[in-house]
Amino acid sequence: MAVERLTSRPSGGSARVRRTPGWWAGSSLRPIIYGLLVVGALVQVYPIFFLLMNTLKTDTQILNTPFSLPTSLSLAPFVDVWTGERTGMFFGRYFFNSVIVLAATLVLMLSISCLCGYAMARGQFPGNGTLHQALLLSLAVPAHALAIPLYFFVGSLGLRNSLFGLTLVYAALGAPFTIILMRAYFMHMPVELEEAARIDGCGRLGVFLRIVVPISRGPIAGMAIININWIWSELFFSLILMNKADVRTLPLAIALYKPAPMTVETVLGLQYAAMALATIPVLILFFLFQRQIASGMTMGAFK
Amino acid sequence: MATVNSGQSVRATGSSRLVRNFRNALPWYLFIAPASLMLLALMAYPLFDTLRLSLFKWGGLGPQTFIGMRNFSKLFGDEVFWRALSNSLIFAVVVPFVTVSIGLFLGVAISRRMKGWQIYRIAFFIPVMMSGVVVATLWANMFEYNHGLFNTVLRGIGLEGLAQNWLGDRNVALMSIMLVPIWQSVGFPMIVLLAAVEGIPQEMHDAATMDGVNEWQRIWGLIVPLIKPVLASITMLSIIGAMKVFDIVLVMTKGGPAFSTQVLGYYLFETAFRSGNFGYGSAIAVVMFAVVFAVAYGYVRGVRIESVEY
Repeated sequence: MAVERLTSRPSGGSARVRRTPGWWAGSSLRPIIYGLLVVGALVQVYPIFFLLMNTLKTDTQILNTPFSLPTSLSLAPFVDVWTGERTGMFFGRYFFNSVIVLAATLVLMLSISCLCGYAMARGQFPGNGTLHQALLLSLAVPAHALAIPLYFFVGSLGLRNSLFGLTLVYAALGAPFTIILMRAYFMHMPVELEEAARIDGCGRLGVFLRIVVPISRGPIAGMAIININWIWSELFFSLILMNKADVRTLPLAIALYKPAPMTVETVLGLQYAAMALATIPVLILFFLFQRQIASGMTMGAFK
Repeated sequence: MATVNSGQSVRATGSSRLVRNFRNALPWYLFIAPASLMLLALMAYPLFDTLRLSLFKWGGLGPQTFIGMRNFSKLFGDEVFWRALSNSLIFAVVVPFVTVSIGLFLGVAISRRMKGWQIYRIAFFIPVMMSGVVVATLWANMFEYNHGLFNTVLRGIGLEGLAQNWLGDRNVALMSIMLVPIWQSVGFPMIVLLAAVEGIPQEMHDAATMDGVNEWQRIWGLIVPLIKPVLASITMLSIIGAMKVFDIVLVMTKGGPAFSTQVLGYYLFETAFRSGNFGYGSAIAVVMFAVVFAVAYGYVRGVRIESVEY
């Protein structure tokens, strides 16, 4: 049921749902509920607006007139943090580090998860059930509990301070959940097409690559979307595995960027610009894929 | 003779079946190999090594000294550890309770197509997408004592007395940092519960309407019982997430003042990666693992996840 949600029915407030009008109509609670909704929505949105506005203000303006709108519209703060010449923090580079880790993690994690989930859904082999149980158990393991051995293990592979090392760790952390959901999806997928291809002499891998993957693009994209968020935001492993300045990811760089206010004209503004740099791509993504994100999150929680 | 024959034939087909089974299974093993190897190396092995290391004293380099349960008995008498554990548990109770309650309210209200429902849905969901570090940095700036948004507003409207040293006062700091994940994540239960509420068939609502229920009865008598499995799973996810809190503490308070915001994840990080006590850090990791695992296990045991039949 959860899987169909991702593939077919847009959930999370689709306009297609039929509603009897006026359920609240007689309720005296109505104004109070509206009030709560409006105030709540303002509380949710204002800090983000505040963040974006502050990227364009000087420190004095940020500190003394927090509610004023910026007086000038310039991209200079973004250019400053991007090149890092004034700040010593090269956010352009960190941005690309984050993009590389994100892309590589998605490719690696989705490949191994689809292969594994497909085999678990279609194959009959000893150990299948055990594997499923193990994956379910692994969902209850907090990543922090793995940190110390992982730090030394990744170090012994020579992959500390390497974007590839971080990618391996992220792919492993995200894989169990992705495998479980892909397995569930493949179990609901009709088997006839694959059988036809088998009769035509296609091998298992051939069937998987030529038939299964192309028709599963939707769910695979859905899995990518629900994983983007945590990979883009992950701090803990980046913090312990990436000690060198030039391999930092964006969240780590932001966490380490502690400007002292009022030392130069715009230090806080630059900090806000760095934060906006991490936030704006996510906001764009959100508005492009709102529906898929909502249904993906829902699917995760229904499992 | 006959029996021997039949025995042989059975054995022959038996072994050939074994061969055939293996032939059939082999491609599948190749399919699961990459994921399995990676998970063995990067999850199973580290988990067992954490358990093993918790019995050793180790500075990261040099020999590991076996000390049995002494790390754990040290934990037992470690005040900072108890602070961290109790703060983590407070987090894991307060944050999920508040976020799921607000999320339920929002989900129900939005499912009613209250005017402007699309806007509320987007407004409450946007922070969920933001990175924890950004949110924590933003709130740290807003909580700042002299020029932060909160104190500026409070002073501006003449409530000088309510202005707090939000992150610097040990009686207030934990409450302050708990506001942050609540603000950030209410949209998550909202979106999930909204989908669950909308999954309830219209006929059941119509039947309830015919029985003349009021809104309150509809929520507690119809909606909540029907979405209970989703409510339970979102609560558990939220509890586990709260147990793992780290980013906020690192950015906003570093566990201070006076350990009033110390939590397990951050104490583990400090002990192992700042002070270099990897054995003792592993013992903290084992406790963290045990607590999270107990929550998840209790959920699986206590709340049977059955899909509700409509």
